[in-house]
Amino acid sequence: MSTQNVATGVPAVRTEGLTKRFQTTLAVANLSLAVPPGEVFGFLGPNGAGKSTTIRLLLGLLRPTGGTAEIFGVPVADVEQAHRHLAYVPADVSLWPGMTGRQCLELLAGVGPGTDLAYRDELMGRFDLEPDRRARTYSTGNRQKVALVAAFATRAPLLVLDEPTSGLDPLMEREFRRCIGEAAERGQTVFLSSHQLAEVEAVCSRVGILRAGRLVAVAGLEELRRLRRSEMTVELTRPAPELRRLADLPGVADLRWHSDLRLTLSLVGPPGAVLASLADADVARLDVREPSLEGIFLDYYGADAA
Amino acid sequence: MTIETAAPTAAPTGTLGDRGANRAVTGAAVRLVRRGTTVMVLLAGGLPAFVAVEYRDTFAGAIGVDSLAGLAENPAIRTLFGRPVALDDPGGFTVWRTGTVLAVLVGTWAVLTATRLTRGEEEAGRWELLLSGRVHLRFLVANALAVVLLATAVAGAAVTAGLLLAGTEVIGALLFGALVGGTGMVGATLGAIAAQLLPERRAASGLGMAVLLAGLLVRMVADGLPALGWAQWLTPFGLITRAEPYAADRWSPLVVLGVAVAVLAPVAAALAGRRDVGAGLIGGREVHRSGTRLLGSLPAFAARRARRPLAGWGLGVGLYFLLIGTLASTMIDFLRDNPAFAQLAAAAGFSRLASVQGYVAALFSLLAIPVGAFAASRLAAVAAEESAGRLTLLLSLPVARARWAATEAAATAGGCVVLAVVAGLTTWAGAVAVDAPLAVGEALAGALAVVPVALVCLGAALAALGWVPQAVLALGILPAAGGYLLLVFADSFRWPGWVRGLSPFAHLAAVPAEPMDLAGAVGMIAVALLLAAAGLARYNRRDLRG
Repeated sequence: MSTQNVATGVPAVRTEGLTKRFQTTLAVANLSLAVPPGEVFGFLGPNGAGKSTTIRLLLGLLRPTGGTAEIFGVPVADVEQAHRHLAYVPADVSLWPGMTGRQCLELLAGVGPGTDLAYRDELMGRFDLEPDRRARTYSTGNRQKVALVAAFATRAPLLVLDEPTSGLDPLMEREFRRCIGEAAERGQTVFLSSHQLAEVEAVCSRVGILRAGRLVAVAGLEELRRLRRSEMTVELTRPAPELRRLADLPGVADLRWHSDLRLTLSLVGPPGAVLASLADADVARLDVREPSLEGIFLDYYGADAA
Repeated sequence: MTIETAAPTAAPTGTLGDRGANRAVTGAAVRLVRRGTTVMVLLAGGLPAFVAVEYRDTFAGAIGVDSLAGLAENPAIRTLFGRPVALDDPGGFTVWRTGTVLAVLVGTWAVLTATRLTRGEEEAGRWELLLSGRVHLRFLVANALAVVLLATAVAGAAVTAGLLLAGTEVIGALLFGALVGGTGMVGATLGAIAAQLLPERRAASGLGMAVLLAGLLVRMVADGLPALGWAQWLTPFGLITRAEPYAADRWSPLVVLGVAVAVLAPVAAALAGRRDVGAGLIGGREVHRSGTRLLGSLPAFAARRARRPLAGWGLGVGLYFLLIGTLASTMIDFLRDNPAFAQLAAAAGFSRLASVQGYVAALFSLLAIPVGAFAASRLAAVAAEESAGRLTLLLSLPVARARWAATEAAATAGGCVVLAVVAGLTTWAGAVAVDAPLAVGEALAGALAVVPVALVCLGAALAALGWVPQAVLALGILPAAGGYLLLVFADSFRWPGWVRGLSPFAHLAAVPAEPMDLAGAVGMIAVALLLAAAGLARYNRRDLRG
């Protein structure tokens, strides 16, 4: 079924005007989004932006106040069907305290949509999981490992991961990124909620940015970078007063002269006009810095939020 | 609460000192018992006062003391409520009618509250932050226990206040209130000790309850066998019998109760000092080669979850009904040797008591309460899994919530049948051991006849799961415990038939002395199914908590 959907282009995740209100607070507002099959989608936002609420809506754990959501074309309310196509790692993993990790995995595999047991054993080794300890004795990271192993081992066409690495050490985080890479190679779709920007930058091809329950941007990482400002530093061999006109060019902001020979500006959009103006001056050094995801992120939350 | 890493010097100004920190911890514990204590004060104050007033208004003049005594000698009622004394006094009647119920109620509540405030808080990880400050585990346990002890004392005081307002004698009211409060205190210390021994709240609650209710069993044995009368001194319930409030007004049993609390409470704190945070003094190895049986499907998992609680409840129910069975011939002999009493009982509507079948039928009706409580507690466990966030992973699998809850309910219903079968078989075994004429089929039929009441409890618990998941246990037990009380009151005070008919017990026939009330059973099952369907539909649609 899922391969059919991949062929016919039904989105792995689609929401239309999805809204969730808890008493007086609007947790998710009119969220419309489509994640095509095979994409590694990063879902960004600070704490309390509504990431987990959105994911719990996608899983049918919460009922939307308005709007619709579908997993591979199946309404999320039909969990018996929709959940055949996905595996999930919650942000805060709670396991049955008296059961061992192995028993928890066995239960999830037994009740779940099908698990590749050989791959699961391999994953237990790679994540260095001690399966014969009771879940009560597990740390946050160990509980997360159990959920990650269970999720990756299903080979479900959609992986929904809610801040899955918050408790992992750097070695395990590297292993996690490798698993995401392998999943992407196999054509699995990944919906990764995170506020670890380096992680998202490393594995995701497209991101959605959520602020106060609203989706403020959805774009490919490259596109985002293009849309956002780059920082340009220009050093001159001799003063060029005519460059003061740079400020009038479209897309240029924050033109600052640090001395007669050094200026910085930030630029949105293509740099052609700026480069043309610079062509007549004696430029000693030109440095254009692509915005980091962190810069983009802060842009959305810093300036706009103020 | 502040967390300080500095050496133990005087607290700097602007932060809480030791005393302030302790007060903050105590305040948090008090907030956790406030609501339960309020409910308990209303029940413990209201129930006996209500019975005393009703007795004076409708009962005392209308019916002779003779027929009252006849009613009191009904073995079912005697086993449940204890030996009747001073039935001609409103207070004495109230003690007999409500004493055991109140003591069980307050004691059970105290056990559950003590484990919730100690092991429950610890298990949820809420103590780790506190323990990183200056408080020691021993202090947290002692503090929580002190708060629960205080809460049970308040409940005991409410009993006294209610009975005084109802105009009963002062000495009796004081003694009875103190005994009920003391029973609660014993329950609280048992809960706190169990919470030190076992690493999980549910298991600790089970252990505490088992010890407390074993005390009830001991009291019944002591009442039944005069040679074992001294055993009454071993249990709070026996001590209430010994004290005879409103009759002999003996204070020595109360002193024994006080000494028990004074000895047991420090034990709980001392045990807390001897273990790791998060661990119990006993309780399984933390690392073991784990078996993976009963994990392959939802029904298997439900069976796995139910098997240990079922074994515990089965043991309790089995012991109780074995005792009932062995008392059968004593009862029959008593009635044969006292024809006058048999006539009296017959005149009071208990003609069938003279037969073993009538006797066990009367006692089987009590079986509905533990079986209903089992059903409610299993569904309360489902609600607890939800609020602990443990269902998130399970429900991200292709498992509709209604299917998960229905599977648990089905396993629970199966457990109810098992409990009834255990009760039937043990009663029969007890009766056979004393040569009482009871066939195994009769015993099983009598025990199974009460299963529909437990199913109504199950239905109510499912409805609660849909609408008020915080109250699954209370609403689930209501049809059995509340229904039983309603019937007792309705019969005692001649309430109108429709009020009596609200109780599921009004629709039970005295099986095996009478044929089963088929219409009643079908009606109860229909109600159970309706409640279950509505509850499951709502559970499927609402937001998941946790």
